[in-house]
Amino acid sequence: MAADIDSSKAGVLRRLPDTFSTLLWPQSERQRERRRIVGLCLPFLVLLLFSGIVPLMEMFRISFSEARLVTEGFTLQYYEQLFADPYYRTIAINTLWFGLATTVVSICVAVPVVHALAKYDLPGESIILTILSFPNSLPGIVAAFMIIVLFGNTGLITNVIAAFSGRSAVDLAISTSVVGLFFAYLYSMIPRAVLLLRGTYSEINTDAEEAARSLGATPFWTFRYVTLPQIKPGLIGAFVLVFRTALAIFGTILILKSLLVWTLQIDREIAQGFNIAQASAMATVWFGFVFLFTLFALRYTSAEVSI
Amino acid sequence: MWSFRQGSLSARFGRPFVKLVLAATVAFLSLPVVMTFVSSFAAEWVGPLPSGFLTFANWNDVIAGTGVGADVSVGSSLLYSAGLAVGGVLINICVGVPIAYAVARYQFWGRSWVNVFAILPLAPGIILGIAFLRTYPDLSTSGIALVIGYSLLKSPYMVMAVQSSFQSMELQQIEESARSLGASWPRTFLTVIIPNAKEGIIAGSIICWTLAAAEFNFSYIVYSRGTPPLSIFLYNNITNASFLNAAAAVSVFFLLIALVTIALQIVGNQAAVRRL
Repeated sequence: MAADIDSSKAGVLRRLPDTFSTLLWPQSERQRERRRIVGLCLPFLVLLLFSGIVPLMEMFRISFSEARLVTEGFTLQYYEQLFADPYYRTIAINTLWFGLATTVVSICVAVPVVHALAKYDLPGESIILTILSFPNSLPGIVAAFMIIVLFGNTGLITNVIAAFSGRSAVDLAISTSVVGLFFAYLYSMIPRAVLLLRGTYSEINTDAEEAARSLGATPFWTFRYVTLPQIKPGLIGAFVLVFRTALAIFGTILILKSLLVWTLQIDREIAQGFNIAQASAMATVWFGFVFLFTLFALRYTSAEVSI
Repeated sequence: MWSFRQGSLSARFGRPFVKLVLAATVAFLSLPVVMTFVSSFAAEWVGPLPSGFLTFANWNDVIAGTGVGADVSVGSSLLYSAGLAVGGVLINICVGVPIAYAVARYQFWGRSWVNVFAILPLAPGIILGIAFLRTYPDLSTSGIALVIGYSLLKSPYMVMAVQSSFQSMELQQIEESARSLGASWPRTFLTVIIPNAKEGIIAGSIICWTLAAAEFNFSYIVYSRGTPPLSIFLYNNITNASFLNAAAAVSVFFLLIALVTIALQIVGNQAAVRRL
C-alpha cells in the first residue's frame, strides 16, 4: 500500500507534461470537464494576476528598495522605522482601537435593527430597507460630508442644541473632533453590518424561539439563549468583515482629519515628499495584518462569511 | 425573583427599545441626505435651518463650473467616470460570469478557495492604489489603470450577483439537456446558460457600475491629471467650494444613486437592491 502511494507521488511529477497536454487536447469526458473548469476560471485569474498580484508584489519589493525612484538594493530601514519609531506605534494603536470600537458599536446597533426588521411588523418596511442600504454605495468622502451636515459649525444637530442651550454653535460643533469621526465611521459601517446580519437572521429557526416563549422564557432570555447562539457564527463573520472595512476607511478621514490613522499616514508619506518606499512598507504591513487576521478568524473561529 | 423582574423588564421595554434604536438609526442615516438635498436649493444656511428658497445658483455653479474650487463642470467628470466604470463593468462581465459558473456548476479541487478569492476583495482601494503607482505609472494618466483597478475592486459584487442567479437554476439539468440536443459545450454556455442568468448579470453590472463610478480611495491615489473622475470632483467640491455648492455636488451624486436603485427595482432583483 505504502509503495503504491510512493509510486503515485512520483507519477504526479512525471505525468505533469501529460496533464498539460490533456488540458489542451483532452481525450476523455473527465479531461474535457477539467479543461472547461480551467477555462472558466482563467479570465478571473488573469485579472487577479495583473491588477492584484503583480502590483502588490511590486509594492512589496519597493518597500525594501534603497533607491528612491527605482527599485534597487535591499534595506529593512523602512520596516525598522515602522516598528521602532513611537510616532508610527501611536498611529497603529489609534487605528486598531478606533477600528475595534467602531466595529463593536456598529454591530451592537445593527443587531437590534436587523431584529426589528426580521421580527416586527413595521410600517413602510421597504422604505426603511432602502434608507438602511443607501449609504453602502456612498464613498467615504460623502459620509464625511453627511457628518458635517449633522454636526458641523452650521450643522443641523449643532444648531438645534445651540438654540436650546444658548451656547455658540461653533463651540458645540463636533464634526472635526474624534467623536465626529466616530459617527462618520458608523455612517458607513452600520449599513454594512446590517447587510451582513440580514443574511444571518434569515436563516434562524423561528420554531425554537416560539417554543422558548411559550415555555415561559422572557423576550430577553429567548434572545440570549435561543437566538444568540444561532446567529453567533454570522455575528463573528460580520465582525471580521466590518473590522476590515473600518481599517480600510480613508476618504472619510481625509476630509475630517481628526485622528491620524494608518491609511491617512500612507497618503501623507506620498503627499509630503513622495516617500513611496515608506508608504509601500506601511501598505505591506496593512495588507499582511488584514490577510492574516482574516485567515485566522475564518480558520479558528466559527465565523461564517456569506455575503 | 430576580429573573422574573428582568423578564418583565424586557417584556415591557424590550420592543420599544429595539424600535427606538431602529428609528434613531434610520434618522441618523437619512436626515443628512435629506438636508443636503434641500439645502442645495437654499441661498444661505446660517441658523438651524437653511433659508432663501428657492434658488438654483448652487446647482448652476456645479453644472456649469465656476473656475474656483469646483473648477470644472460636473458634466465632464460624470461622463468620464461613467466611461471608466463601463470599461470596468465589461471586464467584470468577462471574468465574473465564467468563474461564478465554474463554482456553481462543478466540483473541483480548490473550489472553496477560488470562491473565497472571487467574493472577498483582495485589497482595498488605497492599498491597491499605492501598489499601482509604480507598477503602471504610464497607464495612470490614460485612465486604463483606473479601469483595471475598478474591475478588480468591484468584481466580488458581479460574482455574487451572478452566483445568486445561478443558484436558482438547475444548471446540470439545463446543460445536459442542451448537450443531448446536440449543442456543443461552448454553444450551450453562450446561448443557454448566459441568457438564463441575464437578471443576475444585469443587476451585477448596475451595482459594479455605480460602485466604480463612486470609487474614491483608489482614484485619489492613482489619478494624476486630466479630467477628474466624479469622486475626485466631489472631493474638490467638499474641500474647496462653499458649503451649499458642495451640497449641490453631493446631490448630483445622490440623484445618480437614486436612478440606479430605481433601475435595479425595474430589473426586479430585490437581493441586488439590498446589497447595493
